[in-house]
Amino acid sequence: MKFAVRLSILGMAFIAMFAILGLRLWFVQVAQGPDIAQAAEDQTWLIKTTHASRGDIYDRNGVPLVTSRLVPAVFIDRTFVQPEDRDILIQRISSLLAMEPSDLQLLYDEAGTNGRFQVATVNTTAAYQISEQLATLPGVEIVNVPERVYLSGDTMAHVIGHLGLPDQADLDEREGLDPTVRIGKLGVEKYYDEVLQGTSGTYEYRVRRGEIIDEQPAVPPVPGSSIILTTDSELQTVVELALEEGIRLSNEVKDQDRAAGEDVFSETSRAAAVVLDPQTFEVLAMASVPDFDPQLFVTGIDSETFSALNESFAFNNLAVSGLYPPASTFKAITYSAFLEKGLPLPADTDGIDPANREVNCDGQLIFELNDGSAEVKTDWYAPSELGWLDLHGALENSCNKYFWSVGLGAWQAREQIGENVLQDWAKELGYGSATGIDLANEAPGIVPTRELFEEWAEYQRENPDEPPRLDPGRLNPELASPFFGGDLMDFAIGQGAFTATPLQAAVSYAALANGGEVMEPRVVDRVIGPDGELIEDVTSPVVRTVDISEATRRDLLTDLNKVVTTGTAAAAFEDFGPGLEMVGGKTGTGETTATRDNHAWFVGVAPIDNPQYVVAVIIEEGGSGGAIAAPVARHILQYLMNNEPTPILAGDPTD
Amino acid sequence: MTAVLTRLREVAVVRRNNRTDWILLGTLLALSGFGLLMIYSATRNVGTFSMERQMIFVAAGLIIFAVASNIDYREYRSILPAASLITLILLVAVFFFPEINGAQRWIPLGFFNLQPAELAKVVVIVALASLLAPQASRDELALGPRTLSWGKIAQALLVVLIPGVLIFLEPDLGTSLVFGFILFGMLFVGGANWRQLTALLSVVGLGALIVWRFDLLQEHQLDRLAVLWDETIDPQGIGYQLRQSKSAIGSGQLTGRGLFAEDTFTGFQYVPEAENDFIFTAVAEQLGFVGGILVMVAFVILVWRLLVIASNARDRFGALIASGIACMIAFHVFVNIGMTIGIMPVTGIPLPFMSQGGSFYMSMTLALGIANSVWLMRTPVPGENQLT
Repeated sequence: MKFAVRLSILGMAFIAMFAILGLRLWFVQVAQGPDIAQAAEDQTWLIKTTHASRGDIYDRNGVPLVTSRLVPAVFIDRTFVQPEDRDILIQRISSLLAMEPSDLQLLYDEAGTNGRFQVATVNTTAAYQISEQLATLPGVEIVNVPERVYLSGDTMAHVIGHLGLPDQADLDEREGLDPTVRIGKLGVEKYYDEVLQGTSGTYEYRVRRGEIIDEQPAVPPVPGSSIILTTDSELQTVVELALEEGIRLSNEVKDQDRAAGEDVFSETSRAAAVVLDPQTFEVLAMASVPDFDPQLFVTGIDSETFSALNESFAFNNLAVSGLYPPASTFKAITYSAFLEKGLPLPADTDGIDPANREVNCDGQLIFELNDGSAEVKTDWYAPSELGWLDLHGALENSCNKYFWSVGLGAWQAREQIGENVLQDWAKELGYGSATGIDLANEAPGIVPTRELFEEWAEYQRENPDEPPRLDPGRLNPELASPFFGGDLMDFAIGQGAFTATPLQAAVSYAALANGGEVMEPRVVDRVIGPDGELIEDVTSPVVRTVDISEATRRDLLTDLNKVVTTGTAAAAFEDFGPGLEMVGGKTGTGETTATRDNHAWFVGVAPIDNPQYVVAVIIEEGGSGGAIAAPVARHILQYLMNNEPTPILAGDPTD
Repeated sequence: MTAVLTRLREVAVVRRNNRTDWILLGTLLALSGFGLLMIYSATRNVGTFSMERQMIFVAAGLIIFAVASNIDYREYRSILPAASLITLILLVAVFFFPEINGAQRWIPLGFFNLQPAELAKVVVIVALASLLAPQASRDELALGPRTLSWGKIAQALLVVLIPGVLIFLEPDLGTSLVFGFILFGMLFVGGANWRQLTALLSVVGLGALIVWRFDLLQEHQLDRLAVLWDETIDPQGIGYQLRQSKSAIGSGQLTGRGLFAEDTFTGFQYVPEAENDFIFTAVAEQLGFVGGILVMVAFVILVWRLLVIASNARDRFGALIASGIACMIAFHVFVNIGMTIGIMPVTGIPLPFMSQGGSFYMSMTLALGIANSVWLMRTPVPGENQLT
């Protein structure tokens, strides 16, 4: 190839290179230029945000529970800091605020070019000191920022909730979240975060070499809306103190039991209670023990305190997330199903009279399995000789044998009446699914059915390494199903694999008491604007209407009253005072495992002629329902019925 | 003595009509003057004396151009070994001086920092030309067709690799790539066949593979490449610079926002290094597509003149020098402007005659001076050995 040809080829290569540059330049400047110019124009505007004050939270009577106040905070706006001034500025501010220079430098670097960030909130003295020196501290500002104040301390902590900086999951889930602004992490603070949050104010400006050269009129922040709860803080205090008394009482009884040589497995430390209006499904009080002070999260909580509280379940609202077998409190639901669905009692079984619908409550049910062999269920807790009882007497005395018989009858007749009659009834009344309350982390609970057990069994066969949910014996392939008749019998007395939250127990009683309307319970009554104007009146939608006859409703309420006058809670309600005839309820003692103490339950209703309150109380591993939970509920009901609440002393051990 | 004077007179008569390449010099002056203007525009709000400093370098560079123009480029063959040695010593010496911005590329001389790699570019071009041009041999025609032996290829590779590796270690990846491009271009012009060029490309590929496999590139160097696809990389550093540069150029549009206009990115250091590696950004923002294209046209003229000089050179040595310089300038322009508009990685290669910087400016004018010398000497004088 000739030299000249080679030079020409080189020249052509150069021309190609320049052509590429020219085309690209055309693309960037002329084809895309206007768009890029616009984006660039937008980019040179800096935005300073002023955080809005969060809305307040009041109880149903207007008592302020949570508010926000303005506290001075030190900000640094990097736009006004020349690079050469950076190090000296970091030195001075960190020494003024007594913080580590490296911490401040980290914040500074993270803020990025033209970034503006909050260094720390300071007290008035420090704010004054710094503002004296502002002239020599370029880029430093003292700005009042809103800070949360929890006026009620740890009262109602679980309903109110607390704040925290958004984590990665929050940022992924909610668009436009400012990672430096605290958001609600629990309770109403979380569920109504967007309502409470408000809208940040903005101020847009352009800066050149530390001078503002152009600005837009500032948009002031819009404070968040305020919330009025359905809860009553005075009642809440009564409930919380009653739960703590219940825990104390439980431990006192355990000490006596231990002294008497009985098995006691643990100290009682947890309890929960719900007071619900059965007509509106407004939550009047909701408590969970142990609790925490939400203010800790404002001033900063150290990891030790946090993990200690976390391990004690202080951040769990047991009223909506605690799962317990509902135990004998569920007999009221079985009771209503028995009447409404006309369930049969078993024929040809000793001690059961299906014609008169009576059962001989002698503590033992001996019945036949399909193969003819005998099976025995023994009631260890009930007095052994209650004699022949009808449904009403059985509820009053919490006779397990009667309700077992209901379960057995339903099992034997399952081909005719359907195998899930009892479970479906429970589900309609709110068991086995979240109630839809306006609080986060609600647990749905478990209503055991054949389908569910088969699902579990299949999962267990496929995942043998995971902790089993069913006894391995149930996986025997020769069995027709892992779900037995005994499981349905246990379900009828609220035991077995059945679990529910205290709120679900309250909801089911509220529905029975109001004639069958299941609504979504709620803790928020209404949302109001900064000037007090109504923004949203929250009401509970009716989720389902369960078909319950007026006769059944009246019978049930009358029998629940008998429980507290002559039945299992009679001792606990002895000094109730006037109006005892207007109060009803049901004790429950939830069996767990052989190495844990029983859960003490009581669900009460008052007044029975026109129910206004449903009170559900659980003392976790607290002992007997009649002895421990019933006195706590009685104390709360005394307050609700305007009686002077009397001390919480042990009732009779029951069911 | 009389004989020598007579001879000089003869030479002067023959070359009377040979004048400096005025187009070359004119373009050089235009680019330099325009460069000073843009440096001023990019730094006038910062309060540095960048333009004043650069004026000194421009003056020095023009003197270098004049001196180099008047030295017969063929003399360089004799001083090449010494020049190569000095350059190597300087390239090693940088490692004994403290780091500046994480690299050891400079020898501080008080009034300015000498960057030996810039000098090395010129020395390597002359050395390659000397290697690839036919020596004084009656068997080969200096301007005729010619092939290169594989041995020559290997030697050429060595000539480039020694300074190239030292510069790569400084680290200065961009400048070491300039050497690769010069080598490839000069081998092509010098007569390498396609197999040799393919083999060379394979060596380059192998080298890239080794660099990749043994993680010889630092993370920020990889970032500079990756940022072309993902603008979110290193948002405070290289990603910021690139985004700002593209925003600035984009807002220039067809006719620019005006020289010294208010609120420009490049007038207020919103594009870091707008007086240096990103000077083209300042041109394109303030003077728009029209201004940018004019600058490119100036470079096209420059490269065209260099190729003309190459084709008119009296011997292969001169032709190779001129084409090597053309390759160097074209590559600088392509990579530098390509970087500002986001099609080439940010490698820190400056724009010839315009970017601020003393060593770079002076070595570029030295190169053009040598090319001008090739132009001035293009006509053979009776009695001269035509074959060298």
